[in-house]
Amino acid sequence: MRVLLLGYRGNPYSGGQGIYIYNLSKELVKLGVTVDVMVGPPYPDPLEEWAEVYKIENLNIWSIKTKDIPYNKLTRIFSLWNFADYILTRLHIFPEMETFSFRAFFALEKILKHKRYDLIHDIQSLGWATIPMKGFGIPIITTVHHPLTKDREADLQRNWGLWDKTTTILFYPLVMQGFVIRRINRVITSFKEGIDELGKAFRVKKEKVSVVYNGMDVDLFQNTGEAREDNALLFVGNTEDTKKGLVYLFEAMTLLPEHVTLTIVDDGPPKKMTAWELIKKFNIEHRVKFTGKLSAKELVSIYSRKTILVMSSLFEGFGLPAVEAMSCKTPVVVTTAGSLKEVVTPDCGVLVEPQNPLALKDGIMKLLKNKKLREQMGKNGRKRAVENFSWSVAAKNTLEVYKRVIKEYRSKR
Amino acid sequence: MPRAKIWGFLSVLISASIFGVCIFSILIINYHDFTNFNSVNLSELNAMTFYSAAIPITIVTLFVLSTGFWIGWVILTIKVVPPMPEIVEKKDNSKIKAVLLCLITVSLMVLMIYGVYIRNFWALAIPALVISFVILGAIFWVGMAIITTRSTLITNKKQ
Repeated sequence: MRVLLLGYRGNPYSGGQGIYIYNLSKELVKLGVTVDVMVGPPYPDPLEEWAEVYKIENLNIWSIKTKDIPYNKLTRIFSLWNFADYILTRLHIFPEMETFSFRAFFALEKILKHKRYDLIHDIQSLGWATIPMKGFGIPIITTVHHPLTKDREADLQRNWGLWDKTTTILFYPLVMQGFVIRRINRVITSFKEGIDELGKAFRVKKEKVSVVYNGMDVDLFQNTGEAREDNALLFVGNTEDTKKGLVYLFEAMTLLPEHVTLTIVDDGPPKKMTAWELIKKFNIEHRVKFTGKLSAKELVSIYSRKTILVMSSLFEGFGLPAVEAMSCKTPVVVTTAGSLKEVVTPDCGVLVEPQNPLALKDGIMKLLKNKKLREQMGKNGRKRAVENFSWSVAAKNTLEVYKRVIKEYRSKR
Repeated sequence: MPRAKIWGFLSVLISASIFGVCIFSILIINYHDFTNFNSVNLSELNAMTFYSAAIPITIVTLFVLSTGFWIGWVILTIKVVPPMPEIVEKKDNSKIKAVLLCLITVSLMVLMIYGVYIRNFWALAIPALVISFVILGAIFWVGMAIITTRSTLITNKKQ
């Protein structure tokens, strides 16, 4: 089987899309699939060891003022798609997905003169030109971890005034994604509730959606054996993202004993002020600290040392920090929002209702008081992560979807 | 001079010249009788000729206006998750502005379609001018940036 993966950003070290392409392609190759990857910058260099990589140009000039665009990019603006990118970014539109799909379409047209693919797997770009790609006679599927409507809602919640809201609405290409997603052969999402979410956001029919849990590196995320700190809570995630429900966690902190501390793995002030303003408001500055961005190794270490990972989310498309913590034998307290209730089972963490600081506090206290329960949940969490959320499992399940789609597609022709 | 700089100068020169000619022809030549343009009769044009210009201009204009309407509509109708405490304290009149945005864009869309229907000169000229100015402005701005930005690649003088 020969598969083409499409992704408008391919950096394997940052951004979910690049990590997904890197790990999925690596595991698919192990299962005997020939994988080609067509990606936009930042390009994934190590991929070339196991996949053929077709690099698609993109200037990545979103949110960069014209005078600040690097000289080597400025001199490349006067070409069709780069100029379209430039104009659209000046109008506050995020055009990478659109222009990537057109560039990919024309690149694919040339490649198909000497190569055939059994399937095209688009990784959540869903650009307009994905539709004409159907004309190549190859089934097309896409992976959408969660619909962007959730991100737009979260942004709109934080926006104040007409201009802020306008730029947010222009940023998210929801009309395009909704139009395209309804016309491709199958959609992969990473949690069961995602089927309804996609239905609500884009009117995607349930029977067109398959659930494949996301993968993570269970070999890297292993308990380091370092001593566990007591009464030390951990939060990992973007503090500017209101979907993380940090306000409820901070409120829960005020209800917890004074000796309970919280470490946040993200940038704090002066880089990111939203969470800090809330922390000051709740008067818990002395109990909360920020680590800034951490390397994977540092992240594994902090997961292994802290007592509990807490996720106070209002919505999650997968909940990677919870799985990473479970993989490091760290018990978790999470809300039942989005995918979390599927990812975390009651034997490896405490589940509480979202937007309820009191329930969050009770859940945390239940674990803080009981070391034996924490250890048992840690062990169960590791087992669950290895069995369900490793990249090899994700690739195996994805391959099953590929086979089904190809079979259905060929039987109809 | 590097080729990119030459392109920069050319884009500034060409876009500024076209912009200048537009302003000159609209505002300076006709300053004492701006109504000259009203006498342009598009009905005399062959239907094919008229629609070959009118259709693309109308499509682009309606697309831009309907985007404006859609933005207003989304702001009016979207239900977001319960806001954070610090957001509640702020007063936000964006819904009122969104109503205005919807009304203005719908009015302009109706006006545009009616204008094309009666083959009014301004119904095509104004959008065409705006679209041209946006594109010319972008070319000018990029050209200026190319001219004024120093290349980060240091040329090796020994070579």
